[in-house]
Order: sequence, then structure tokens, then C-alpha cells
Amino acid sequence: MKRTISALSLLAGLAPGIASADSTVRFWYHFDNPENPMSDLVAKFEEANPGIRIDAQNVPWNSYYDNLYTAIVGGNAPDAAMLKMFALPRLLEMEALEPLDEMIAGWEGRDDILDNLFDLTEAEDGKHYYLPVQYVALYLYYRADMFEELGLAPPETCEEFREAAIKLTRDTNGDGKIDTYGFGFRGGKSGHEHWGAFTLGREGVALDDSLTSEAGVAGTQFVMDLFQKDKVFPPSAPNDGFQEIIGAFKTGVTAMTIHHVGSSNDLVAALGDKVAAVPVPECGGGRWTTFGDESTGVLSNASDKEAAWKWISFLSSEGNNALFNSATGQLPVTKSDSASWDQHEKRFVEATQASLPFAHLLPASSATPEFVNTVWPTNMQRALNGEITAAQMNEAIAKLFAEE
Amino acid sequence: MTSVPVPDRDEIAPARRARLWRQVLPLALLSPAVLVTLAIVFFPMVQTAWMSLHDYVLFRPKKFDWVGLKHYSAILQDEVFWISLRHTVLWIAITVPAQALLGLATALLLNQKFPWRPVARALIIIPWALPSVVIALMWAWIYDSNYGVLNDLLLRVGILEQSIPWLANPDTALYAIILTLTWQGFPFFAVMILAGLQSIPRSYYEAASLDGASSLRQFWHITLPGISGVLFTAILLRTIWVANSMDVIFVMTGGGPGYATYTLPLYAFLEARTNLDFGYGSALAMTFTLLLLGIVILYLKRSAKAVH
Repeated sequence: MKRTISALSLLAGLAPGIASADSTVRFWYHFDNPENPMSDLVAKFEEANPGIRIDAQNVPWNSYYDNLYTAIVGGNAPDAAMLKMFALPRLLEMEALEPLDEMIAGWEGRDDILDNLFDLTEAEDGKHYYLPVQYVALYLYYRADMFEELGLAPPETCEEFREAAIKLTRDTNGDGKIDTYGFGFRGGKSGHEHWGAFTLGREGVALDDSLTSEAGVAGTQFVMDLFQKDKVFPPSAPNDGFQEIIGAFKTGVTAMTIHHVGSSNDLVAALGDKVAAVPVPECGGGRWTTFGDESTGVLSNASDKEAAWKWISFLSSEGNNALFNSATGQLPVTKSDSASWDQHEKRFVEATQASLPFAHLLPASSATPEFVNTVWPTNMQRALNGEITAAQMNEAIAKLFAEE
Repeated sequence: MTSVPVPDRDEIAPARRARLWRQVLPLALLSPAVLVTLAIVFFPMVQTAWMSLHDYVLFRPKKFDWVGLKHYSAILQDEVFWISLRHTVLWIAITVPAQALLGLATALLLNQKFPWRPVARALIIIPWALPSVVIALMWAWIYDSNYGVLNDLLLRVGILEQSIPWLANPDTALYAIILTLTWQGFPFFAVMILAGLQSIPRSYYEAASLDGASSLRQFWHITLPGISGVLFTAILLRTIWVANSMDVIFVMTGGGPGYATYTLPLYAFLEARTNLDFGYGSALAMTFTLLLLGIVILYLKRSAKAVH
């Protein structure tokens, strides 16, 4: 069967080659923003590089990696793609990536990339397979007007956070129903970022056996109590995803939530000066937040690797990187674009920078995608709904990482 | 003695050829369809069965180790399998009868004479004609606990005190999706049953009413027997479709909260596609196929009878 697939993919790969001598780079990316500047970037690149054609495909985020892994195994992978660090171990196991060290060494834009990004994106074998293209760090959004009204200060610790959330959960129009909840918790996919802020900062706790320690279980219990006892999350929290938490925050259904600079323009458009941001609170003696990385890479099956490299390095170069990030709403990775960056209000960029010292990537393990996609959401939802305990949830996660 | 005229050899050959041609032609015409079915249905099925006997995780494509029935014995110990099986049984046992009853009622109404009847018959098909993803997104908004129209209506009329997160509450999530699927599938029954109703001669009803049979008796003794064939086939077909349908669940809750809306096909899909464990995912799919086989055989027998 594999032979048939390879033969078919070979034919598919040959077809454009026969039609034209130019090389085509198939590039996969994921943009949520409907104002997509990709065609401008492609046009600019193609003008500067005659002979290379870019076939850029916007693949929906929810099934981005499902599609990518299946395409790789099916022999129909793109030549270059947008990639996150958590996928690196799996992609290396699949031998799907091309090392970029030589190309990076000879690239004139290398010194313009922000200082620590090449360190963060280094693989376990010491090589570089990723070229950074954007980054963010998650922080706490809060409604400055509601905090002021209740005489509250932005929370510095988990205890202050809980107190504020309880006070902010209230019936504002006197009809006996709660109109505003203290915190918009993301119980669906990617909500580990919220849970992590309350759990993984605790002393000695990480995504391994230490999760089953007293401190680890206390973190999960803290989240469960906020929902079950304090009732400071909207009742829909177990299923809520990105759209729901941002929608609820914009409409005043919630007074705090955790996300990154990518949503700040949208929130400012809806709330103006009423929205502000601070780093996530310190919980159990430490802070932890998600470093949201995004890079590009060349896949090992690329027919013209040099062309693919030219394209991805173009996206991480001065000016182009700014245009790219104006669409994704994240932050540029080049020093020159960062210096002149004016796409976000200053207070959100500052909150991002203040969060960098304790911003972490998820572990470089083959188990990480399963943790993100299924193990964390199902266990968190069951815990929130009282079907399992905090200890059981943490055990399930620790077991997943121990198996790999 | 009279002699029987014997056709000479040259005359026999074309007759035989024609007969042979008549036998071969249908096979020749059918073979492309059979070949395509073999390639896109049968071959993947055999492949799934083969994969279910191996450890095969997609991100380790070189590792394809024979494990025999290991996955199948793991399934029996798997809590999520039993939860999913229970949900699948509920899913089929509520959705199909609900669709059938609603479809029957709609068909009986549409069989009456009233102005704009053709328009009503055309409109009723809309839920069936809409893509599942559109339906799932639409109903997810209807059920939304902050902005959903369902909570808003129930709060306004005073049935609810607080809005209910229909899809985030494990006690209501599965039933909320069942209602969605019932809405989506009942037009199929309505159209099938309506066709059945139209094939019952009017004279039966005229004769029955002359004999003084009430409407209920007419329904019981004429209408029901008249549509029983259609109803039976529709229920069998729909059972197989509903059992396998997971797109609406996938879009509305993705199986959550927790495992509250996991059904077996969804579980197999998530294992294979999201967790990339094709070995275990295939074993789940095979187990479900075996469980469903009884209904499939019943349907095939019935189709065979219809052909004869």
C-alpha cells in the first residue's frame, strides 16, 4: 500500500514539474483573521523571486495538526508550514523536518531575530528545524472599570485573584440573576493555558510526576473550587473555547480572562480603555504562563528546499514579518520590526514583556499533543463537573507523560 | 415420419452468442461500480481490520508491530469504551424512534389537502438538505448559555430561573444533541412515509368508511400496513446512519464535557485522527462494526428480498 501511495504522490509531485520548470512551494498556515494579507506577501515574494511560485493554503486551526500529520504519512505534505514547538518531537520522530542550521548560518536576517528565540526553538538534538515567525505570552485581561468601581487592585497572587473574582461575580441589575462572572475560564481545547497559570507555577510542580504532589493537586483543586464552590466562572465554562471566553469578556459577562496580545485590538474596539492587562497571578510561590510560539519550517519531502527556505526566511525578515503579524495580531520576531511596532496598544505589549521571565513552552514530548487535544480537556471537564477528583485528573496527566 | 427441421450450425451460433451476451453484459456494466466499491469501501475495511491487529501510531510510521487481539482485550477494560457504548445505545434508541414518529406525524399532515401544500412539502425538506456542520453550529448557538435563544425564551416565560448551559452540563449535553439530530433527520422519514401513503389506493379508505370504520381503525388497518414496508426499510437505514453519524456531535461538543457525548464512532475517530493511534482506533471501529452487523444483515436480507 505504501508503495502505491508513494507512486501516486510521486506522480502528483511530478505533475507541476512537467507543466512548468518553475518551482512551487506549497505552504500551510493558519490565520483566524479574515483580513488576510497573505496574497500581498506572496505577490511581493514572487516579484522579488521570479521562478518560485507560492501556493499558500490557510488550513483551519482546529484540525491543523491532524491534517498535517496525515498529509505527511500520506506522502502529500506541504513543502513548508507554520509550526509550534509542541509538535517538534512528533515531527522529528516522523523524520518530516529539514534541519535549517546551514541555511540560518548563511542568512543575512539572522542577527535581526530577537535574542533568545533561537535558543527557545532549538531541538533536543541541538539542531534548528524551526525559524521563529511570531510570539506571544499569555497574561491576565481585566476590566479596569469594574475593578475601580469595586475598589479592587489587579490581583498579584492566587488568593487576591480569588477574592477579586468572588467580588466581581454579581447581579448588576437587581433581577436576581448573575450578570457578570469573575473569570472566563477556558474548559475546552487549549484551556490548559488557564489551568497551567493556577497550577504549574506552584513550587516543584511541572507536567510530570510532580503533578500528583500536594502542591500539584492543590492547583487543580483551586480551579475546581472557583467553579464549584465560588461559582465565579460562567456555567458554560467546561465547554468554552476561544470564541466563548473572548465573546463573554467583550460583552461584560466576565470581568477577567487569560489570553494574549492577539485579542487586544478586538477587545479595545469593543471596550476601549475599560480593558487592561497584568501578568498572571503568582500561585503557590511561583508564576507560570504559556509562551505562545510560532515558527515556520521546511519539510523533508519538499521538492525544492532552497525555494522553501527562501520563502520562510522572507516571512521572518524586516517589514514582511510586521505585515505577517499585523494579520495574526501577535508580535514580530525581528528586532527592527519590534522597535517600530505600533499595531497594539502599549499596555498589552508591556504586559507581554513583563510575562516573558516566567513564560514557558510545553514539554518537548510526544505526549504533549495528546495532552493538549484530549487528555487535558476531557479530564478538566470531568473534574469541573464533579465526575473525578483533582488528584485523579492530575494522575491521568502524569501517567500520560510517564508513558512516553 | 415427419422430420423436425434441424437448424444448421450457422444459425445456432448467433443465438448462443446473444444468450451469452445477455449474461455477460450486465456483469460487464456492473463491474466498474463493483470495482470502485471494492477499492473505496472493501479495501479500507480490510485495511482497518489488519491495522487493528497491530500497534500503529501515525507519528511512528516505521513501527508496525503485530499484537494480535491486544487492542480488543484492551477495549473490554477501557472505561471510555463502555461509556461510549452506553451513549451509542441511548443515541440510537431515542433518535431513531423520535425521528420516525415526528416523520410519521408530518407525513400524515402533508398528505391532507390544504392550500400551499406543495410549498409546505418542499420546505419540510430543509433540515435534511442543510449540511450537518451548519446545523451543528446553528444549534450550538441556540443552546448557548449566555446568548442562546432557547435560554432566553425559557427565562422570559418563567420556566427557568437561571440559564442552563445545555451543552456544558453532562446531564443535558447528549439529549440536547439528540434533539438536534431528531430535527435534522425527521424530514427523511416524512418524505419516505409520504411516498408510502400516496401508494395506498383511495378506494380502500372509501370501502372502509362505507363499512363504518373510524379514522383510527382506518389508520391501524389500512395506513399502517400500507406504509409498513417503507417504514421498516427507513428505520433500518436510518439506524445505520444515525449510529455512524458523529459530525454533529463533533462540531457541537467534540465529545465533551468530559466523555458526556462520546459515542463509539466519535471515540474511534478521536483516537485515530486526533491522537493518531490508528491501531486502537481501528480496533474500536471494528468492534463497533461487529456490533452493528446484525442490523446491517437484516437490511441486506430485506434489500435482497425486494430484488427478488
